[in-house]
Amino acid sequence: MIIDEVLAQAKKENRSVLTEIEAKQILFEAGINCTDTRLAPTKEKAVAIAEEIGYPVVLKVSSVDITHKSDAGGVKVNLKNKEEVENAFDEIMASCKKVQPNADIEGISVQGMAKPGLEIIMGMIKDDTFGPVVMFGLGGVLVEVLKDVSFRIVPIEKADAVEMTNEIQGKKLLEGYRGQPPADVAYLQDMLVKLSNFVHQTPQINEIDMNPLFAYEDGAVVVDARIILED
Amino acid sequence: MMDLFFKPRSVAVVGASSNPKKDGNIILQNIINSDFSGDIYPINPGADEVLGLKAYPSVKDVPGDVDLAVFIIPAKFCVDAMKACGEKGVKAVIIEAMGFAEVGGEGTELQRQIVEIAKEKNIRVIGPNCSGIVSRDITTSFFPFKDVPRGNAVLIGQSGLLAAGMSSDLVVNKSLAINKVCSIGNKCDVNENDLLEYFGDDPQTEVISMYLESIADGARFVPIAKRVAAKKPVIFLKGGRTEAGARAAQSHTGSMASDTKIVEAAIKQAGLIQAEDFTDIKDWAKVFSTQPIPKGNRVAIVTAAGSVGVVVSDICAEHGLEMPKLTDMTVERLKDVFPPNMPPANPVDLWYSIEKLGLVKTLETTLAAPLEDPDIDAAVLILAGMSYTMPVLDEKTVQKITAKYQKPVIICMLVGYNEYKNRIMEELGRDLPVFTSIRSGVLALSKLCKYGMQRNKNAG
Repeated sequence: MIIDEVLAQAKKENRSVLTEIEAKQILFEAGINCTDTRLAPTKEKAVAIAEEIGYPVVLKVSSVDITHKSDAGGVKVNLKNKEEVENAFDEIMASCKKVQPNADIEGISVQGMAKPGLEIIMGMIKDDTFGPVVMFGLGGVLVEVLKDVSFRIVPIEKADAVEMTNEIQGKKLLEGYRGQPPADVAYLQDMLVKLSNFVHQTPQINEIDMNPLFAYEDGAVVVDARIILED
Repeated sequence: MMDLFFKPRSVAVVGASSNPKKDGNIILQNIINSDFSGDIYPINPGADEVLGLKAYPSVKDVPGDVDLAVFIIPAKFCVDAMKACGEKGVKAVIIEAMGFAEVGGEGTELQRQIVEIAKEKNIRVIGPNCSGIVSRDITTSFFPFKDVPRGNAVLIGQSGLLAAGMSSDLVVNKSLAINKVCSIGNKCDVNENDLLEYFGDDPQTEVISMYLESIADGARFVPIAKRVAAKKPVIFLKGGRTEAGARAAQSHTGSMASDTKIVEAAIKQAGLIQAEDFTDIKDWAKVFSTQPIPKGNRVAIVTAAGSVGVVVSDICAEHGLEMPKLTDMTVERLKDVFPPNMPPANPVDLWYSIEKLGLVKTLETTLAAPLEDPDIDAAVLILAGMSYTMPVLDEKTVQKITAKYQKPVIICMLVGYNEYKNRIMEELGRDLPVFTSIRSGVLALSKLCKYGMQRNKNAG
């Protein structure tokens, strides 16, 4: 099981934060669709992965020490060919080493570039009273300002997931606002149930962010993920 | 196991006193005044007899079995009393004494010792720092009680004093047909989950109202509450709500969470009816315990003053209640009691008919007809505290009409003289839900309708 391997590895290294690659591997195994994300320790490997996944790709620095990847110059998007990938690799490495010279950088993650969709946030935290709870909300600035999110206590059923997506004030955006296509809400509800089932069975996990997650007319994909383990 | 608290065959009062000012006297008197027919053992090392009952120095000295022991002694003596109960084989203890975890320090340590003995000796404990049980079968509160009804509503309260005060208000004023009240205090052992499960299965309990300051075991609470709420309405007030997300979360999700939001999520998930205030938990219990559950949210308003009808309509709409047109048949039935130039409509206006026929005759048509209307699920009746309303009380007109139809009716009383208003509250309020504001009445009705619609939906 990839989940057990990843958790064991993190424990061995005495860290509670998983890398984005690890987080997506785990979520993928839990049945949650994530962008194809693989580790490239070298530039050559980065190009090989990009050719396999197919352009355009995204490159992100992979380091448990760098939390804010964009601020460190560790993210390059919409790379359309071999040359752009090679340049991006060098630039990311140079910038991150300059910004955080002591960071342990395991390499660079090469990811398929998801086509834009409606930005969603899903996540999980542990509440002192109720234990694990899952969250659903619309991503982006609105979620930060209005905190327009819904929660349910784990484990949830499909009916709870339906209530979660219905409860948010920005519900109209899910239904397709001003000519935008509607989001595949049933798929999102399914993802919430999968997330709940997963955390219910995996008590070692303390917090999960799937942010952003792009929702489409048909399906959805996790673009960035973060998992924090129990101390 | 929980039956030992609510239907014990024998009870010991540890700290029973002959002094009528002492809680240990009131508790014993309450047990005597209830329908409890088992053996009662006052425990008091300094007395041979308390209230005509033979007293014993310790629970251990009691000749027969003791199902339940109630402690009303200072906290520092409770540990020894627990040990005595353990030796005696008592399996249920209510500790009403204060001075435990709620005061911290030594009190916390005493409570820890109580829990330890309870676990070791397999004793269930309600409290400490509570007012125990109020019921017809047995009352262990330190407030005096008499004639507790055998109603269908149950109250669960965390605070001892509030539970005692509120239940004595309800019993003395006969304003709610309670069946049991249970105050759980510091809930060192028995908590809301145990009581919800027990009352969920209790055939006498039809409505549960609950006030909690803390939730003991949230992971168990949601599934238990959900199971019970599917069977009977559970009205729930959670105190100590705060927006502050006092959690040291590293995630975005964590920064979005607050206690309030998570408690609200749990309430929705379990299908509980969320109250905002103490008056809600008794007012709504009154509505749920006296009125049939409606199938929908279509309301008729019956009022003497047209302008009141307008405001009631607005408030109904605000709370998700609909005000449909009356069917032709109902309009036809109402024509005779309406002025010739004014067609009957919803709200149903009564003034013309009251002047012609008096209120009793008026209501026999104007309240009955909308309740018979297939497009109406419930009614709001506006009454005034005036002398012309009094025959309605004498003849129990509203009770008689509402008993005929399986549809809920709530009464709002806005204007009038205290003399008559008090009579309406006292007499009509005993049988039916009477409110002194439109908003509180309509809100309560909206909760009932919402519950009914949800239940309909779940039933498919």
